[in-house]
Amino acid sequence: MQFKTWIAAAAISSIGFAAFAHSGASGVVKKRMDAMGEMGKAMKTLTPMMQGQTDYEPDVVRSAAETILGHAGAEMTSQFPEGSNGKPSEALDVIWKDWMTFEALADALQVRAEGLKLAADNGLAQPGAGLGVEGTMSGQAMMGSGHAMMGGSQGMMGGSQGMMGVSTGQMMSAEMLAEMPANAAFMAVTQVCSACHQKFRAEED
Amino acid sequence: MPRIGRIFIFLGCIGAVGILGLKAWPIGSAPRPGALEEIEGSVDRGAYLARASGCIACHSNFDEGRAPLSGGAPLETDFGVFYPPNLTTDPEHGLGNWTVSDFARAVRQGVSPEGDPYYPTFTYPFYSEFTDRDIADLWAAFLTVPPISEPAPEHETTFPFDQRWGLKLWRAVFLSEPDTGSDPARSDDWNRGRWLVRGAAHCGACHTDRNLAGARVAKREFAGNENLPGGKSAPSIRPAELLDSGWDVSNLAYSLRTGITPEGDVFGGSMAEVVNFGTAFLSDADLTAIATYIMDSDLSGD
Repeated sequence: MQFKTWIAAAAISSIGFAAFAHSGASGVVKKRMDAMGEMGKAMKTLTPMMQGQTDYEPDVVRSAAETILGHAGAEMTSQFPEGSNGKPSEALDVIWKDWMTFEALADALQVRAEGLKLAADNGLAQPGAGLGVEGTMSGQAMMGSGHAMMGGSQGMMGGSQGMMGVSTGQMMSAEMLAEMPANAAFMAVTQVCSACHQKFRAEED
Repeated sequence: MPRIGRIFIFLGCIGAVGILGLKAWPIGSAPRPGALEEIEGSVDRGAYLARASGCIACHSNFDEGRAPLSGGAPLETDFGVFYPPNLTTDPEHGLGNWTVSDFARAVRQGVSPEGDPYYPTFTYPFYSEFTDRDIADLWAAFLTVPPISEPAPEHETTFPFDQRWGLKLWRAVFLSEPDTGSDPARSDDWNRGRWLVRGAAHCGACHTDRNLAGARVAKREFAGNENLPGGKSAPSIRPAELLDSGWDVSNLAYSLRTGITPEGDVFGGSMAEVVNFGTAFLSDADLTAIATYIMDSDLSGD
């Protein structure tokens, strides 16, 4: 009996160790990886819905937006204390060198996730057909990054504005997003994810 | 004189003559006089093509707060550190003094107005089939970029890679036309996608292994690259691997707009740059075309 208990304990602890060794993460790093994973799951649910491939459900959109909200803003930045860099974390050191930008992106995520939540009842711009060019264009124009296609002397100058719009959290409020089709608000959220990953996450090996 | 010494002198002479010859060897060719000047380029179309071609992504360094196209982030390669130059209309540090023919030769042939070959970190081999119309449109768009009077840093290369004449040999051995031509048996989407993927968008520049000389390995087309500048890597974008990872035409096109992967992750690093400064600006039709071609690409060398 005692032997069996010992075996069971060893088995359980080795499983625990295997799980630990698998990600190699613990403490705050593990916590923020789990948070990212939860947001990823929310995005995975929303992505086909926003393309009109699965049935649009406002409640699901709201709940996914709330998941993201729960991990955004100050909650996000609190998961990145100084010194929590290095393997196995994928966070780049530049986070702590350019904390203001990181903070601004975390805040922008909060604002945009709030906007997505408010826009949930608006549905898609073109139900069942994914996001058409028109929807895309207006979405980007709202974000100040659509000039490249809209021409004039602004022709080549769109990019930095788009990025600055994201990183400073300017250009877009939750109220503005609340007026947009949900798929455009969703795209605004993805822009923040992308801008943050571009600058602050290591590329996979 | 011992025989071995004579051989060395002989080889040395051949080498010296060879290098002088290489230095003098003219590369590139001039376009038909007046042909480009006759075309009135469209700024909108040119800006769109510049997005698709990665000009803005590579020649801008937004992180450092530099103005768009005034010089890009350094590329750390096995051959040295390369700084994408200033492409604004500044006459001294940019291309303000260029003619449209200079521009055409630079983009399509990788040859500077002075006749020097560019390093292949500049992805000109993918642009060599650009039409005069494409060039005129791009040029019109570049002329709208305000001048920034600030040079990009000099490339940091060591011998022998600092000898630009060596690139003429590289060109002779490795330079080939991109496979951007149309296949009448395929759909319009697929053909448009082929033109973008193998041409302008130059996906293969990162998603294909390179040999020791930095040239793409045809047999490894789109199979990924573990040794990108800065120690980065790019995964395979061959159809079989993409299908295995849950990609299809629709979610691939959507990811080029938003960065979202089928797993709900969002691209980081260089691919995020490609999306945020490039493909996010393309039309739905073009993104679908790119995805259509990538999910059903014709691989060479297999």
